[in-house]
Amino acid sequence: MDLINHLALGFATALTLQNLLYCFVGVLVGTLIGVLPGIGPIATLAMLLPTTYALPPTSALIMLAGIYYGAQYGGSTTAILVNLPGESSSVVTCIDGYQMARKGRAGAALAVAALGSFFAGTVSTVVVAALAGPMVEFAFKFGPAEYFSLMVLGLIGAVVLASGSLVKAIAMILLGLLLGLVGTDVNSGVARFSFDVPELTDGIGFVAIAMGVFGFAEIIANVEKREHREVFTDRVGRLWPSKDEFRKAAPAAVRGTLLGSILGVLPGGGALLASFASYTVEKKVAKDPSEFGKGAVAGVAGPESANNAGAQTSFIPMLTLGIPPNAVMALMIGAMTIHNIQPGPQVMANNPALFWGLIASMWIGNLMLVILNLPLIGLWVQLLKVPYRWLYPAILVFCCIGVYSINNNTFDVYMTAAFGVVGYVFYKLRCEPAPLLLGFILGPMMEENLRRAMLLSRGDPTTFFTRPLSLALLLMAAALLVIVALPAIKAKREEAFHEVD
Amino acid sequence: MKSTERIADCGSKPNGERRIAAAAKRFAVTLLLALAPLAVLAQYPAKPIRLVVPFPPAGATDIVSRELARHLSERLKQQVIVDNRPGAGGALGSDIVAKSPPDGYTIQMATSSTHAIGPLLNPKTPYDPRGDFTPIAHVANSPNVLLVAPNVPANSVKELVELLKRSPGRYNYGSSGNGTIVHLTSELFKAMTGTYVVHIPYRGTALVIPDMLSGQIHLLFDNIASALPHLKDGKLRALGVTSRERSPLLPDVPPVAQAVPGFESVTWFGVFGPKGLPPEVVQRLNGEINAVLKSPEFVERLRALGYEPAGGSPQDFAALLARDTDKWAKLIRERKITAE
Repeated sequence: MDLINHLALGFATALTLQNLLYCFVGVLVGTLIGVLPGIGPIATLAMLLPTTYALPPTSALIMLAGIYYGAQYGGSTTAILVNLPGESSSVVTCIDGYQMARKGRAGAALAVAALGSFFAGTVSTVVVAALAGPMVEFAFKFGPAEYFSLMVLGLIGAVVLASGSLVKAIAMILLGLLLGLVGTDVNSGVARFSFDVPELTDGIGFVAIAMGVFGFAEIIANVEKREHREVFTDRVGRLWPSKDEFRKAAPAAVRGTLLGSILGVLPGGGALLASFASYTVEKKVAKDPSEFGKGAVAGVAGPESANNAGAQTSFIPMLTLGIPPNAVMALMIGAMTIHNIQPGPQVMANNPALFWGLIASMWIGNLMLVILNLPLIGLWVQLLKVPYRWLYPAILVFCCIGVYSINNNTFDVYMTAAFGVVGYVFYKLRCEPAPLLLGFILGPMMEENLRRAMLLSRGDPTTFFTRPLSLALLLMAAALLVIVALPAIKAKREEAFHEVD
Repeated sequence: MKSTERIADCGSKPNGERRIAAAAKRFAVTLLLALAPLAVLAQYPAKPIRLVVPFPPAGATDIVSRELARHLSERLKQQVIVDNRPGAGGALGSDIVAKSPPDGYTIQMATSSTHAIGPLLNPKTPYDPRGDFTPIAHVANSPNVLLVAPNVPANSVKELVELLKRSPGRYNYGSSGNGTIVHLTSELFKAMTGTYVVHIPYRGTALVIPDMLSGQIHLLFDNIASALPHLKDGKLRALGVTSRERSPLLPDVPPVAQAVPGFESVTWFGVFGPKGLPPEVVQRLNGEINAVLKSPEFVERLRALGYEPAGGSPQDFAALLARDTDKWAKLIRERKITAE
């Protein structure tokens, strides 16, 4: 029983005092930023990346992971009580969660969200643990040709599944690809697009771009928003859901978990997609769809379970193939490279304690989150009252210190500031920056693997079609393109993402 | 200069006995200052020393530097502070040192890539590795090991060379990128054996391993410490080490030079200061670094990272730099390796 041995190693790693502490810090910060509307997990991870520098890599990753799935819990609190998504994957929770709160069932909605998330977290931890091993074995069959095809699939997936305008998603991915090309080319050793700036010969810093486009831009954008809230913070009510609510929530949580686990693994997938999909499914299978939008318990339980499951299973491609399915995982890859760990199938063999420790910590973190989010809900509610004019400048200052400390170079701070402005422009133009980050990470990888595959085949491009795995991946990519081009599906896609508007 | 000024000063204004006493006191100070070289040596280091590491924290160069800094701090009774200045393959940090005052308070950990290979391949390097620095001490060498994939039917370097000669252009070697020491070592091997193997660059040798296990890449010159786990589980085989002697980490693996006479390629690590460093400072630091290199604890740490302790005089180190630069310059010229 390899799985049990591996999990034993994982729990032994995750249960050390230090790792427990960082896991706790992670889920605490995750809940915090989940509760605070405006600051999402991507921005937080981007901003906290430099601080993990001084930590051992295992603790750093455990903490960062905790922030991601922790935010899924915290996000629901704000969605239910204030009708503002604490972070993007809680958008759909607003619809029925807030309505439940208006009916005086805020406590029940919170409990359903937290328990559903915990159930999903437990199941998806097992899914990650069970799938990771075979996936790594599978990954060793991947050569440069397969990686290239997989990234083609990943980028197309990112376009298809991106919320919002298709054209803008494509534009952002292409821009990300271009930005990713800045720096020294591995194949020729030539510095490209560096304009003789020595700092640019290493490429644009990942932290600078992520922190600028996500962190800084989000904060600037939030400052202009007026704060208006009809708040149920003082009327949480009884926490335990009624028997009837429980009966409706349980199957929705199971379906949400299943859906989320699958969608998390897909390229372009993750928490956001999972919650949208789950809401659509719940509405479809419900006996009385008219309940939705008026406080349906299933509309809270399903998406909340799905987003947590999706958040966790999106670690599978990142941990086993070294390929990020979404922007948060791109950040996790950035964190690993900061610690000199090359993401890829070799991580499980070279750093088994890190690999399994991270997986085990997810379950421990979920347990902590239930405790943090149910009995201590009152504390988080208080947080919603902190004025942003104090919060934001403080965050910005710490960001600048953080980004400086990575290379001890002020150039990186200027770079972050510049990307902050760029990010704000994106925000104004309603261009989502997540595909940009994916393009930025996947672009150089894709180019390198393309050229490597071509060198290995001695210049024969048919190598991508004659290798069966590569062919299969390319066919899947083509199928995705066809699907998204079909008018019926296109309409559905827009409907799914515009549900909330 | 200073001492003569002071003597002239107190001689020109004799004003009372107190003045005379003061003059005597000054004379004593002057005497001390006259023994300047000794005095500087006695005073140096009077404040913390900055050891610039032109690579990011937690890398091998950083770990060695931190360990060295810790031992040096104890011996010098002054803090030696590691300052990581990564970027542009080590050129950013090296440039900071090249442009620092030669007072002995800013020194750097350099490697063959910052001071030999990098400047050769990149004409835009902002410093002259031989003209802008004072060599202080050679700290360590890191030999590489020649690894072969499971599907390569060769059990020695000799067999490998025969195999490569039989089918030129059929086999591939991986590297950590164009213009890196792994690339140049492989090209040196090809030049000296008259073989042709296709270069497939990666972003670090760790990424080459999976493609070696699947048999798409056949050869790799890798750092001994990072190769060890793959050798232990028996998936990859080591045919030779690139140093002239065997490595204590791989006592069963013969040097490549046994089959290819004269073949040698080691990454070296050493400490440089800016140009014009006072000889006393160089001597003091060189002496202390050599003493640290005799500490069993430090040596053990180096070996665990796959490094061999070096040492020797500043002149030895300067000679090594010259020798290494000439060797790689010749190879780069002959094989027409460029980064432009």
